[in-house]
Amino acid sequence: MTRADFIVTLAAVALLPYLYVTQWGSGARGEQVRISVGGKEFARVPLYKAQRLEVPGALGVSVLEIKDGKVRFVASPCHGKQCVHSGWLTLSGEFAACLPNRISVQVAGREPRYDAINF
Amino acid sequence: MHDFPRYSLLATRYCLILLFTTVSCSKPDPLYQEQILALGALVDISISGVEPERAQQAASAIAQDFNRIHRTWHAWQESELTRINAQLPGGAPFPVQADLIPLLTRAQELSRQSEGLFNPAMGKLIGLWGFHSDEPRGPPPDPGAIAALVAQRPAMNDLRLENSLLQGRNPAVQLDFGAIGQGYAVDTAIAHLRRLGIENAIVNASGDIRVIGKHGARPWRIGIRNPRGPGILASIEMQGDESIVTSGTYERFFEHQGRRYHHIIDPRSGYPARGLASVTVLHGDAVTADAASTALLVAGLKDWKRVARAMGVKQVMLIDEQGKVYMDAALARRVYFEITPAPDVEITGSP
Repeated sequence: MTRADFIVTLAAVALLPYLYVTQWGSGARGEQVRISVGGKEFARVPLYKAQRLEVPGALGVSVLEIKDGKVRFVASPCHGKQCVHSGWLTLSGEFAACLPNRISVQVAGREPRYDAINF
Repeated sequence: MHDFPRYSLLATRYCLILLFTTVSCSKPDPLYQEQILALGALVDISISGVEPERAQQAASAIAQDFNRIHRTWHAWQESELTRINAQLPGGAPFPVQADLIPLLTRAQELSRQSEGLFNPAMGKLIGLWGFHSDEPRGPPPDPGAIAALVAQRPAMNDLRLENSLLQGRNPAVQLDFGAIGQGYAVDTAIAHLRRLGIENAIVNASGDIRVIGKHGARPWRIGIRNPRGPGILASIEMQGDESIVTSGTYERFFEHQGRRYHHIIDPRSGYPARGLASVTVLHGDAVTADAASTALLVAGLKDWKRVARAMGVKQVMLIDEQGKVYMDAALARRVYFEITPAPDVEITGSP
């Protein structure tokens, strides 16, 4: 391999991270959150804008907090509070739901890291 | 000028390498996704590789399947199953709808293979614990009432099914298909998608998942929820035709006086099973994976291999209450942990 061959190969390999990022999208981190009530989309909200959202569900109002590219249930009128225990969601494809209140929250990005979540 | 061919050759190589890296990183096909609420659960349908109108029609058909199964098999809202349960204690044979028979016989077979640890005949016990409710609240039932029901030994082989006539031979038998209802619905949905000519899809009913085909050029990527905290514990790639189902003690539970009581009841003791936090089963069909994940969680670390063998299940991941992971070498090669530090893993022999 000549020096020129080496430089060309090196240049191509150096481009790989750029191609990975541009072709696969942000992959891990989500860009927005999809909020559904009763299976119907209620809102799509960007994850970069900090805010608290009050979402009316079957039992009452669930409160969502969005901050620093993450979203979580802060409060919900259900009994078990499994939605609140789910904690922060940040990766594309992650989701949490308050089934009694019929509200679900899913992080979406250009290319989800997971196609489905098993639990 | 004599260097020109050489530079041209270099440029060609450069382009080829770029082309190769770009193609290998190319994005998969666009995906159609729909979410429905059915069976008291969130159902996610993802379809890859067909035009959106066709995918949408297929998803609507699946939604109808789920609603029909909900109306047929619901254990505590009025359904075909509650009508059956009302007639079983009488002891006389009565006719059942023909479309219910395949799942009834399959459940009998799975229960027998699991040594009765998967037991859809103990609906009374599930109800006694308050899990016939969207939001179980406790308190735990009276120990005497639990012992009395366990002593009556309701079992699937107390049912006789002949010529579309069902007969209960133990008045304690009440059916509850909660442990396989989602898996059955997922299998039904995948079969329907295939009849519609869809070859690449995921159906995910509250975490019970069956995949067919691929997501474009790559396998489907599945995240496995951490049973002991928020977020994703591990991921696994799946393709072809495979199901993944987890039974976990964190899914449905209530707390009473600082103690947690979960919904997976050990039919031998009448109390929530102890020792394991979750069991994940990978298998061809979702009904078997669903029944096996419940049975193996009840079987515990001592007996799971024998029960898995009897149920024909090979790929299993168990997580104990301390967070230690147990799985065989073949599955360990497929599972990628997404948390740091990765959990303590013990590689077990195959079931």
